[in-house]
Amino acid sequence: MLLTCRRALMAMTLAALAFVFLYGSLGVYRPMEQWSWMDIVGEGGTALMSGFWAILILGSRPSGRVTLLLAGGLTAIMLGSWVDCLDEFFVIPKDQFWDNWLESLLTPGGMLILTSGLYFWRQEQWSLNEHMQKRERLFREHRAFDRVTQLANADYLRRQLQLEQERHPGSGALILLDLDQFHRVNREHGQQEGNRLLQAIAHLLLLNLRPEDLLCRYAGDRYAILLPESDLQEAAVWARHMQQSVAQLAHHTRSGIRLPITARVSWGSLEEAPEALLNRLDQALEAAPDFLPTHAALA
Amino acid sequence: MKTYQLNSRCIPGAYQPAMALEFARGQDVDVSLLLKGMAWDEHSLRQPEALLSPAEHLQLLHNLAVALPGGDGAFLLGQGLLPGHLGALSHALLQATNLGQALELLQRYQAWLSPLLAPRLMRLGDETLLYWTDSCALPRQRAFLVEMMMAAVTGMARWLSGQRLPWRYTFNRTRPAHPEQYAVHLGSAVQFNAYLDAMAIDSHWLEQPWPRGNGAGVEMAVAAAEQELEGQPRRSLLTALHDHLLAHVRRPPGLEACADMLGMSPATLKRHLAQHGTHFQAELDQVRIHVTLQLIHNQGYSNERIAAYLGFHDANNFRRSFKRWTGLTPSMLRHQLQPDGLD
Repeated sequence: MLLTCRRALMAMTLAALAFVFLYGSLGVYRPMEQWSWMDIVGEGGTALMSGFWAILILGSRPSGRVTLLLAGGLTAIMLGSWVDCLDEFFVIPKDQFWDNWLESLLTPGGMLILTSGLYFWRQEQWSLNEHMQKRERLFREHRAFDRVTQLANADYLRRQLQLEQERHPGSGALILLDLDQFHRVNREHGQQEGNRLLQAIAHLLLLNLRPEDLLCRYAGDRYAILLPESDLQEAAVWARHMQQSVAQLAHHTRSGIRLPITARVSWGSLEEAPEALLNRLDQALEAAPDFLPTHAALA
Repeated sequence: MKTYQLNSRCIPGAYQPAMALEFARGQDVDVSLLLKGMAWDEHSLRQPEALLSPAEHLQLLHNLAVALPGGDGAFLLGQGLLPGHLGALSHALLQATNLGQALELLQRYQAWLSPLLAPRLMRLGDETLLYWTDSCALPRQRAFLVEMMMAAVTGMARWLSGQRLPWRYTFNRTRPAHPEQYAVHLGSAVQFNAYLDAMAIDSHWLEQPWPRGNGAGVEMAVAAAEQELEGQPRRSLLTALHDHLLAHVRRPPGLEACADMLGMSPATLKRHLAQHGTHFQAELDQVRIHVTLQLIHNQGYSNERIAAYLGFHDANNFRRSFKRWTGLTPSMLRHQLQPDGLD
């Protein structure tokens, strides 16, 4: 992170040093007996922390207006506190007002900039939530997201199942979808191709879902689709639909080989306890025949 | 007898360790993280003469497990591990005529195909049990290794037979945080809190011919492998001790006799066992448990006859000891391993 925002870090350090130089050349050094340690620690600490926050923002967000406002506001607050802190070491002659101006402009100005940054950040977040539709519902848990497909995992699914049962008892359905012979894709075309296929299927399923549905990567090549407030008939229709769209997909490896993909599905209503339901749907998938008619026999 | 231990250089770096690196790369993990703190870099590890010690391989797998916290790392890595690309041995596995032959090869050449966990076959009634004992494993990594090797055998059998085989699995562990990984990668016939880490299958599956099977090819590949591997240790210290105790379970030799057989002093043997987190009596007890299982199933022995067979004074004494070893009575354990013992 320090590497990516090295320039910002250098600019902040240079500004802080420039203030030291300004105070040193125009002010009179205060003897140590007059130092107020409480103020030094408080103001210096505020400056350090604000600077650290600015670096965190710059290091973790894509650059753009919101990032600039957030980091700029924090930097101004940092410099304001730094000036406050320097006041403890140097006495500026009474006939000079520039130091008062610096103090009263930097900190409040920084706060204003930061506030506007937070306001735009909120707008930005709304448009990002649109992107997360069908990948998350009701609550966010960033640790639950799978690194390959960017879908939430089985833990997240279990919590969602429980939540849905509490919110709408007696309705809602769950579909499990498992790719046939997926292990052969990994073995014959490599794991990276396997991951590409998993991503493709995730996109395909997302496109086929309604806005209120939730898609999770259950484990391996098995996906889970939560259909809130739906009944078994609807689930059956949707499950068949997903199965057909997977079979229709013309997926190609990087080297241009067409991989015929088929999937098995199982579905159930949310009336059972989550763990029992998942077990039953897992078993139903295992009982279904698992073969690829169009895949060449083992060569 | 020549054996390998935690610090013996015996694991070809270009095989399983390189596969672990390759797998990590596919999962977008920084490969240098896996080799952190080790004397190897990726280039030196891939050299044909590079040999890692089990301790180093364990460290590498530990780093991998830390880098992939999702709970699926062991299964995904394991799935592609066998037959692998270990020259003649992998050729032999690839041409195995049936599951029985593949498992026999796996057991015979375990030092190369499964250097950290020892695969063992046991006939229980109509079933064949493939169970895993420590070869060079450390307790904290046992769960990862068991997941990895069971996924490896499952994946190999599925690929070479062209169908999913009806394995049943038992695990000597509590219910994991990610049971769905077991369900998807192994199947739903999985039981936790069992005594053995084992996978069982009806014995008739061992005879079913495999589409790629080529008996003559296996013989040639095995002959070539024997030449390549000549002079290298074929068993870990723990496995050799286990084998020796198993062969003489009716009159088990003591620590001194076993140390003698292994060509080391009793103190050295004790020290090696401690390094693996075990001790002599624990190993002997483990062997007796496995033998008891077979006697109950295959011979239908009563507790009295087993007690006499294993040299106990009486059946009560045996039952008490057995309870102490496993926390279960012999009949409870027998029930656990039956098909209907699974729920």
